[in-house]
Amino acid sequence: MTPPTAAVTETVRQPLIPPSTHPYADVIHRLEAGGSMLPDTPENLMQIIGIYKAYAVPMDFYWRDLLYIAERVFLNPLPAFKYFISQDYLDLPNSYAGEQSKLRIWRGGEKAHPELLEFMAKGETGKLPKLLHHLWHDRINMEFAEACMQAMLWHQNMGGRFNDYLASDAYRANADRAIKAYFRGNPLMLGLYRLFPEMFMEQVKQMSYYANLGLFWEVMAPVFFEMSDIYDEGGFKGVPDAMDFLVNGIFAVAGRPIYHHVYINGECIEIIPKSEGFTWLYEAALPYVEAVFYRTAPFRGTKSYNAQAYQVPAEQADFHYGILYADVFPVGSAGIPPTLLMQDMLHFLPPYLVDLYKNHKRGEADQLIQLGITFQRSMYNVTSAVIQALRGALLYPLDDTDPEHLLANRRFFEAQMDRFLRPEARLPQVQTQDYR
Amino acid sequence: MGPTPLALLLVLPLVGTLVLTLLPAGFSSARIRSVAALPAALQVLLALICWQHPPADLQLSWLPTLGLSLDLGLDGLSLPLVLLCGLLTSLAILSAPADQNRPRLFFSLMLLTNLGVMGAFLARNALLFLLAFELVLIPLTLLIATWGGERRAGAAIRYLLYSAVSGLCMLAAVLAFAWFNAAGPGFDFADLASAELTPEAQRWILALLLLAFGLKLPVVPLHGWQPFTYGQASTPVVILLAGVVSKLGAYGLLRFGVGFLPEAWTAWSPWIAAAGAISAVYGALNAIAQTDIRRLMAFSSLGHMGLLVLALAAATPLSLQGAIAQMLAHGLIVALLFACVGLIERKTGTTSIPELSGLMNPLRGLPFTMGMLLLALMAAAGIPGLAGFPAELVVFEGSWTAFPVATLISLIASGFTAVYAIRLFNRVGFGRLDNTHADWAHTLWSERAPAMVLTVLVIAAGLWPTALTGWSEAETAGLAVRAQPFLLGASGPTIARSSTTLVAVTLPSAPELLPS
Repeated sequence: MTPPTAAVTETVRQPLIPPSTHPYADVIHRLEAGGSMLPDTPENLMQIIGIYKAYAVPMDFYWRDLLYIAERVFLNPLPAFKYFISQDYLDLPNSYAGEQSKLRIWRGGEKAHPELLEFMAKGETGKLPKLLHHLWHDRINMEFAEACMQAMLWHQNMGGRFNDYLASDAYRANADRAIKAYFRGNPLMLGLYRLFPEMFMEQVKQMSYYANLGLFWEVMAPVFFEMSDIYDEGGFKGVPDAMDFLVNGIFAVAGRPIYHHVYINGECIEIIPKSEGFTWLYEAALPYVEAVFYRTAPFRGTKSYNAQAYQVPAEQADFHYGILYADVFPVGSAGIPPTLLMQDMLHFLPPYLVDLYKNHKRGEADQLIQLGITFQRSMYNVTSAVIQALRGALLYPLDDTDPEHLLANRRFFEAQMDRFLRPEARLPQVQTQDYR
Repeated sequence: MGPTPLALLLVLPLVGTLVLTLLPAGFSSARIRSVAALPAALQVLLALICWQHPPADLQLSWLPTLGLSLDLGLDGLSLPLVLLCGLLTSLAILSAPADQNRPRLFFSLMLLTNLGVMGAFLARNALLFLLAFELVLIPLTLLIATWGGERRAGAAIRYLLYSAVSGLCMLAAVLAFAWFNAAGPGFDFADLASAELTPEAQRWILALLLLAFGLKLPVVPLHGWQPFTYGQASTPVVILLAGVVSKLGAYGLLRFGVGFLPEAWTAWSPWIAAAGAISAVYGALNAIAQTDIRRLMAFSSLGHMGLLVLALAAATPLSLQGAIAQMLAHGLIVALLFACVGLIERKTGTTSIPELSGLMNPLRGLPFTMGMLLLALMAAAGIPGLAGFPAELVVFEGSWTAFPVATLISLIASGFTAVYAIRLFNRVGFGRLDNTHADWAHTLWSERAPAMVLTVLVIAAGLWPTALTGWSEAETAGLAVRAQPFLLGASGPTIARSSTTLVAVTLPSAPELLPS
């Protein structure tokens, strides 16, 4: 008996280019269809949105403290209290969120998130002096943020003009003015500056990267908060929706300025003035993704790499130790795998993620790892957004009808996927829900 | 105290077996396990009572025409081993999984093995010893053949063949004791102690005893069954095999070889010491090369048996004390090692070293089990403060004067223990825990409990070495065929008939030690 068949009512669109033969052909076809590297499943959506929320709360502290360090702590030779952010910075309104913002794009943002303020007041241990919270590590772990900044500083040349500018005469002149102003009346430090000028210059460069990352995360925190709110309101229908929200956000702020101002004795010294035209996308977002998602450093994680045995590439551009490749088992380090970030996010998990983790693997006993893997999934989605944004900026629309254009897009996607051909990449793992 | 406790020590496992078969069908495997562990735990209690209140010997005529009598006794040599046997049997039973397959049969066979070993340790009659010695073979073969790895049948056959040869040699040795005894046939230990044997007969009997007990220990080159069987047997069985049954071989050598044939033993001791040293080196080097944790443990055990044989060969009061200490320390350590390996295997499904790594991971690994494994490996390597150190120290100190070269070789071999211990732990404990494989539940406290008890005992014995050496000081001094190292140069010991049933050595009296 012939089984009944449904009448085909929709017109099947013939593909204009042949299927990809890349090992990640499925992922590439998904990207070409406007999707994400992360499969579109309800659980994936729940996981990534939940973790964005948990990430956004500490990130709301990270960007404030990064700017506080870059602008106020600056070259303090003993910055023991650099994580004790001033109230001014805690109350600093976000530049892109809320009615008061200079460029309102997202919701909220009048001052630090209420969950962050609540946690900072009592942490896990209860109401104790701030110093005890700090020493007990019952706080937001800024060490993770600094590790990300250091990855950007260390890899330096990752596109954009930012790093080149740090070697320019204009930058050095501004930095020199800031150093002399900061140490005015301090003959010891000024004498040291005269003896070792490059050491001080390097410190100022590091401060500029503090500012760079702070300004980058100032954007990302309200993006993630709003994504969580939209999800709670039933707004996103799938992973591509969430990715599109990120892509739109990237385009909305792509041209916003990246700068470094320092406030010394009430005077604002513009070490990197806004007029230099450094932009959020090219001077902050892309270098950040490259440094933290892909490269970082071969010193962390559950595997020790031996440079003398040629296990570490000679070229920094070949480094692939970032979150997209990491073993997320917490090993106690600040960087990747992001142990300290996992601890930070643990405090702000939405209830639906807590319930999810309870039902898998070792339940509460290993939810640090489970949320770390969720974080890894979510970063594959963020990377997808960046890839789509780059494709949008540099190449052709996905619905272009010119096969040549589609092939150019294909080559771009395949080149991006080539970076995940190495065995450490977690792209194959995130294709299934078993990876937890 | 009367002899009742001695009888009870044998009755308990028998009653336990009977009770297990009568338990209602609705009893869960975990509850059957608890019931099975009880008789062995009571044996420990009884043995401790016997330690405080030594019982009288039990002498019952059984088959007088054959010279078989139910003569049971407990002295400084057998008491610690009886304790060890009861303790390790109960812990081995408790280390079985809660959902043990065919629990009644499994635990009954475990208790029958305990009965055999316990009977051998308590026996004061060679035929009774032989019966008990042979009894061990049957339940153990069934245990290996029915529960274990994929190649368990082959392991059981190999164990059966080697043990059958061992049993035959033992039978021949016991018969030879009676036949060649010019004073007349008799199987009581007293008869064996006073046997009038020609030097040639002594040599033949000793050769048979060395084969019988050397296969049981085992020692190179009689170890063919051991790595394979330890690799295939289930964890509780291998705990019993390595921790208790192997001690039967050492006990036999001490009781029969050193005790009843001192002259032949003295004559052959250089070769025995050489076999011990070779075993120590062979075991350690093979352990380094293994890719499976169970086989590594098997070769490690072989190496430690080599130290034991060296101490027995030297047969000085100190070395014999060291031999007893080594029996106890090795029993505890090897049981702990296999208990930990059993937990690893139960959770990860493998004992293959290349397949395991990162088990120290605090969230997804087995950090508690690995902590205990690390402690057991340190104890096996002779780290001070743990049970292995005092035992090995006394063995080396006691054997040095008699066999310096063999002792030195064994000492170096003992150093290799640290090599394979570090290699194993580095590969299995550290490194990358592959997320795709790290999907196992953590160990429960009930699963950890047997290993935790052993861990406490390993630490306690290291901090209080008298717990290892203090049981048998008088007996080992009495059995020694060589003087203590520090007595060399003074007039040597003379072999004499003691008032006890054992051959004893009359040490030079104090005035003889004084310089003239």
